[in-house]
Amino acid sequence: MSAPTVEAPRRALAWRPGPVALAGAVAVVLVIAGELVSPGFAGYGQLVNLMRVAAFLSVIAIGQTIVIIAGGGGVDLSVGKVATFAAIIGSRVMAGDDANIVPAVALALLVAAAIGLVNGLGVTLLRIPPFVMTLGMIGVVQGLILAYTGGQASGRAAPALTSLVNGRIVFDLPGLLFLWLLLGLLAVWLLRRTTFGWNLYAVGANRAAAELTGVRAGRTLILAYVLSATFAGLAGILLLGYTESVFLDLADQYMLPSVAAVVIGGTLLAGGIGGYAGTAVGAIVLTVLQGLLTTLDIGGAWRTIVNGVVLLVLLSLYGRQRRLRS
Amino acid sequence: MSALLEMTGVRKRYGGVQALDGASLTAVRGEVHALLGPNGSGKSTLDKTLAGTVVPDSGEIRIDGAEARIGGPRDAHALGIAAVYQQLSVVGDLTVTQNVVLGLEPARRLGFLDHRAARVRAATALERFAAAFSGRLPLDRPAASLGPGEQQIVEVAKALAREPRVLVLDEATASLHKEQVEVLFEVVRELRAAGVLVVFTSHRLDEVFALCDRATVLRNGRTVATVDLSSTTEDALVQLMVAAPAQTPVETPDAPQGASRHVEAPVSGRTAESGAVALVVRGLTTDRLRDVSFTVRAGEVLGLGGLQGQGQSELLLALFGAARITAGDALLDGKALPLTSPARAARAGVALVPGDRARQGMFASRPIQENLSLASMRRRARLKLALSAAAERRAARSMVERLSIKIGSLNDPVATLSGGNQQKVVIGKWLLDQPRVVLLDDPAKGVDVAAKEEIYAIVRGLAAEGAVVILNSSDNRELTELSDRVLVLFEGAVAEELTAASITENRLVSSALRLAPGETL
Repeated sequence: MSAPTVEAPRRALAWRPGPVALAGAVAVVLVIAGELVSPGFAGYGQLVNLMRVAAFLSVIAIGQTIVIIAGGGGVDLSVGKVATFAAIIGSRVMAGDDANIVPAVALALLVAAAIGLVNGLGVTLLRIPPFVMTLGMIGVVQGLILAYTGGQASGRAAPALTSLVNGRIVFDLPGLLFLWLLLGLLAVWLLRRTTFGWNLYAVGANRAAAELTGVRAGRTLILAYVLSATFAGLAGILLLGYTESVFLDLADQYMLPSVAAVVIGGTLLAGGIGGYAGTAVGAIVLTVLQGLLTTLDIGGAWRTIVNGVVLLVLLSLYGRQRRLRS
Repeated sequence: MSALLEMTGVRKRYGGVQALDGASLTAVRGEVHALLGPNGSGKSTLDKTLAGTVVPDSGEIRIDGAEARIGGPRDAHALGIAAVYQQLSVVGDLTVTQNVVLGLEPARRLGFLDHRAARVRAATALERFAAAFSGRLPLDRPAASLGPGEQQIVEVAKALAREPRVLVLDEATASLHKEQVEVLFEVVRELRAAGVLVVFTSHRLDEVFALCDRATVLRNGRTVATVDLSSTTEDALVQLMVAAPAQTPVETPDAPQGASRHVEAPVSGRTAESGAVALVVRGLTTDRLRDVSFTVRAGEVLGLGGLQGQGQSELLLALFGAARITAGDALLDGKALPLTSPARAARAGVALVPGDRARQGMFASRPIQENLSLASMRRRARLKLALSAAAERRAARSMVERLSIKIGSLNDPVATLSGGNQQKVVIGKWLLDQPRVVLLDDPAKGVDVAAKEEIYAIVRGLAAEGAVVILNSSDNRELTELSDRVLVLFEGAVAEELTAASITENRLVSSALRLAPGETL
């Protein structure tokens, strides 16, 4: 009987391109393809524009990343609606006046956080599957929006907010990109350098083990949904600054792309593995792809099909990655 | 009479553990044959090779003299073998009828289910057990609405509906009431009369004597002896199960790695009863624990013995706040110990190294760093939130060195480590939290010999530093080596307390086995 000795962790030494690198490569390839098909696609101004579009998706997807890492089928389908609602509240309270920015943003984020809290409580205490809970929440928030606006959004962004988002301060880059960078760093810090982040990964990787390690899993999950809604609210405020006035479905279309960005970024839908850098790259891939398809003047139906195919191709490339999970 | 069933040289290895090491079993038609042995002797694995849920690495199985290849449950079924396990496999949402005919649903033409035939078949199988259901067969009730004993009977009926030649009952009486056991035994005797071979495993020796004709005893995955029960005493049977070489009548397998040398070794190297009483447990009761009370001193190792599944793991979970407690409480250093949630227990100074490392102890896909930090990082975090990468790395490094965990990088997923090193990571995460009470559930199970010794050293070290250590082990030798005292559990209650010199493998096994079944729950 040979005693099994320590097997060296050899697999970890062999470098394979991770999902983040793969997605990054895809983004670069798409940009090059765009430039070849339509010269000027990769011009400075164009790229900055693409990045600006990517920023909104990317900020919404911060919360989505957190919720998906938490595992247990975690997903927040209500992010788009919550962002819309936050923008609507912000617009009405600001009413175009800089003096109202702080109460407007505070109220919008508070309402968003409250919606997230209800999501979190529903998922943990009532054990409603996240998919169902947050899908239902879309309807509830839609109702709240109608009740709040009476079907007609009002107010407008404060000038200071607009110049913060659109104004070009350094290198002729819009302020939005710096805000994105700031929020991105905050997200990475939350996930990598806080007890919350490490608890979150633990709960996502193995909830039973997390609880038997003294992690308050329920509390961690609730906080994940609160954060998701709050970041969605922030994205709504940024959108408000960009568009200056709101409409009733301002950010609704971000729902599925936010999930797609997370998945393209290599975060496992099963939870416990992933991070925000990947999500940011994923958002860029999706945005560049959209830009390319628009440039090629491909019809809406085909655009959707190509989108889906790219997603499938990327995910099948990641397939090998998953075997490590036991 | 020629043998109906002949198994020879059956071997099965799980990772580092040789579960079956050339086991054999020969039994004839119309016999109730007991399969006995201490924890980890391979009884269940042998049962499962017969039922096709485990495929052996090597070995020969003959049925009616013809070589049988059992590659899965379907093969077993085709050969006329049916098995019933302690773990229920009834489908709660299906009716009793649907459960009984599951997999052999009578079909009409075009593949439509013949409901009437299904009911008749289920009724036939269940009829013999009518007494166990207080007279009325619950054919149309969902199985989940039945009591655990009744569900177990449905399992047996399901096996009988297959009209087996060989029926395997693996701890099938564990959840039955006394009356239900009687009904089952009556049915088994009928089957015997009809020429069926019943292979019977139970931890209740009195049941074995009441029902079985012969018994085959396994130890360390090998067959030690087959005895005629009418001419054997309980004592002799127990002797066969604990490796007492002088009294073993049949060929003694060459003792592997001194497993039997230690049998009667006296208690050695323990600092018995040093500190003051630190942990007091009073009347702890849950679904599976009955009125458990004991005290442990600081610096003492309290072993939990008995057959597996008698409530040892449940007791450790209860002390860690991870079981629903219906009565009783615990005091640590005179203060009430919160038993309502693991998080609260952990903050009160309790640590649990759970029995199922992969499912309860570690985060396979996460880095070693996080696995080590998780239980104690709140102590090092600023404002309980902000972590310092350097401080976490220092803490993890210190534990890697202290426990000599063999790793590549702290950033590698813990799944890349060997079993022994994974277990050290699970223990290490708690040591960083400096616990007062350390609960260990079979910590050396499934790790290699070298790692086992290292884990023993860690356990001794913890006690030497004054921690309260409670150790459950399925390995009696481990208990004799490490414990200052051993509580032997039987069906959720403390059956006996062994101290100092009385902790021998022999005593542990006889204590675990020889008790009359307590009143069933």
